[in-house]
Amino acid sequence: METGNGDRFEICPQQIYAALFLMLFTVAAPLGLAWAQEAPAGAATEYRDILPGILGSRNLIWIIAQQHLLLAGFVLGVPIFAWVCEIVGVRTRDPRYDTLAKEFTKLLTSAYATTALFGGILLFLLLGLYPKLMVYLTDVFFPSFIVYSVLFLLETATLYLYWYGWDTMQGGKKGLHLFLGFLLNVFAFFIMIVPNSWATFQASPVVITESNMWARAWAATWNPTWWPVNVHRLIANVVLGGFICGAYAGLKYLMAQNQAERVHYDWMGYVGNFIGVFGMLPLPFAGYWLMREIYQYNQQMGITLMGGFLSWLFILQAILIGILFLGANYYFWLGIMYRIPGSEAKYRKPIMAMLVILLVCLGVWMTPHSLVASLEEARKMGGTHHPLLGVFGVMSAKMTVVNVMILVTFMSFVMYWRAGKQETATWAKAAKIGQGVILGVATIVVVVLGVWGYFVPAITRINFFSTTQVLVVLFVLLTITPLTALVLKSAKTTTDMVWGIMPPRAAYALVLNAVMVILLMTLMGYARSSSRVHWHVYGVMQDTSPYAYSPALGYAAAFM
Amino acid sequence: MTEVQLLQTIGLSVLGLGGAILLFVKARFVRVVAFVSIVLGGFTLVALSIPQMASLPPAVEKFDVASIKDKKDLAAIGQKIFFGKGQCALCHTIGTGEGRCPDLKGVGAKLTRGFLYESLTQPQAYIYKDYEHVGQPKFFPAKMPYINKKPIALSNNEILAVIAFLQNMSGEAVTIELSEIEAPGPASTAKKGEL
Repeated sequence: METGNGDRFEICPQQIYAALFLMLFTVAAPLGLAWAQEAPAGAATEYRDILPGILGSRNLIWIIAQQHLLLAGFVLGVPIFAWVCEIVGVRTRDPRYDTLAKEFTKLLTSAYATTALFGGILLFLLLGLYPKLMVYLTDVFFPSFIVYSVLFLLETATLYLYWYGWDTMQGGKKGLHLFLGFLLNVFAFFIMIVPNSWATFQASPVVITESNMWARAWAATWNPTWWPVNVHRLIANVVLGGFICGAYAGLKYLMAQNQAERVHYDWMGYVGNFIGVFGMLPLPFAGYWLMREIYQYNQQMGITLMGGFLSWLFILQAILIGILFLGANYYFWLGIMYRIPGSEAKYRKPIMAMLVILLVCLGVWMTPHSLVASLEEARKMGGTHHPLLGVFGVMSAKMTVVNVMILVTFMSFVMYWRAGKQETATWAKAAKIGQGVILGVATIVVVVLGVWGYFVPAITRINFFSTTQVLVVLFVLLTITPLTALVLKSAKTTTDMVWGIMPPRAAYALVLNAVMVILLMTLMGYARSSSRVHWHVYGVMQDTSPYAYSPALGYAAAFM
Repeated sequence: MTEVQLLQTIGLSVLGLGGAILLFVKARFVRVVAFVSIVLGGFTLVALSIPQMASLPPAVEKFDVASIKDKKDLAAIGQKIFFGKGQCALCHTIGTGEGRCPDLKGVGAKLTRGFLYESLTQPQAYIYKDYEHVGQPKFFPAKMPYINKKPIALSNNEILAVIAFLQNMSGEAVTIELSEIEAPGPASTAKKGEL
């Protein structure tokens, strides 16, 4: 279908999926509606169930909330880099960036409607299936519901102005269009943090004193995990958006009909992967901060997550993130090999070394603290902790390998950046030596602190050693990046990048990365929800429904 | 067939179907879908291979007046309310001193029951010096809520039980008499809010 401005209006798969689900739901739901807890006459209904034994209210909410959150993460992450691409296009006067930004925004508009659709379904289902909880949350948060509605209106209006005004606001009106993009991101940010307050309040409620409704809502909003989750989600949304756009480009690349399309989607895939990696590097730091706040808020909740029934979840998380790191690096390496002819011989050995380091780090990261062992095996090992592998199962080892993996991935990117270029600056050699020293010293510091961490009290390791490791890696990122940019500013290109000749496996790597990110988000959503155990609002409102339990990981994974 | 076995079978089938499509089908979009199926099937199988533990809720505790035989029973109920419905442990610690609000170790010995009652129902009436935040400002300086009002809304019986718990855990004799506990129902004529 053609729209007025010449763009094709496409129905995306998510919309078809949502529509099909809605049809199924409309037909099936009334048939299976049941009351889980019959309320006595005159008393309010606390829960309703739907298709009990087949689906159940909790599972239905799980499905819809997961869809809504994934789409919302995409919708809130994409405007950030679409806007940045547009700015780059204006500054470099390269029309490719403007086209790319527009293509990102096109994905955004189709996903936006589906997000809102799932949001609406989620709200209706929550009101119907969990009335007790919703009455409580409405009592606490009603003012922020109003704020959210206003923000949603503003975001919708801005998005449509931004999208439909793209072609009209070129040339002299480009500044206005950029301002709309800025507003879009501001509203998107607040749209994200307002519902975050509802969800984080459920996990880390603060005691609310009796006062006016705005003061109560604000007190509940400013709860201990609100900002850690805001920061973590903001970065994660960029990562999700980047990798999803990368996968979209990968799919389009595989299905391209001509070389021009292959060139375009190869480049788009590269940008998507770059954005994903760019966000992925600081993400573990944000996750670390969140876990730290959870421990400080309630040690029991922290233990449930890291040492209790959810501890194995973090082994799964390690596998997923490890594959994501490998996938992102693999894509960079393929780029060096194919897009920059003649560089294969030069970079083969460093790539092999990086691969070995990443695999070793992944092996350490996914080593569980205690092993599943038979009685006889446990007796031979002297307990459930393996005498050698058990050493790698603790946080000190895991923090170290995560930081090393970040460093390796960063160096993959720098290597790709420098490939096919010859530095001409007189100080280039000194700069490269300096970069090598920074990287070498940083790696040694990270490893030494990791080993030292075994011999100090946990609180010292958590408060000082781990944070120093993080700061050291951030220092590397913040020094080598500008230094490389400066060196390459005057460099001459020896081999031009050739776009559109990547092998199909590069596109599959992009798809794999997107699947990994989606699985990670759904897995951590399960962790966040399960960490509240049998509470709707932790320590405040108990879940007394038949679904007040957290299912085992295998069931959860199959469900995801 | 157990639930795990059923899920394993499904995971394996998805994985196998994906593999077969990759081997025999040329259509690119279908091949990408098959690739994703293999990844998802593999993920499910890995998740099913690790220890399967579910988290079950504890049994529901009710304030059953008839079950209170002595003051220790009352204190035990108070303890459950302290760590549950009363939400006291969200901020207060007992002995560890790492909470967001004052540690309550020995509070039942330091303060009278009247003072404790007032602290719970009129928390701003008198701020005890030790309870003011000192040193670095706390990130979340929680204000003591009215325990007898929403959202916590403990009943008079429940507040008395909490006081009994605080006294008992401080090594003091419990001064709440069982006769002060109101029987459930509208017939109760005991005056609330007075001690």
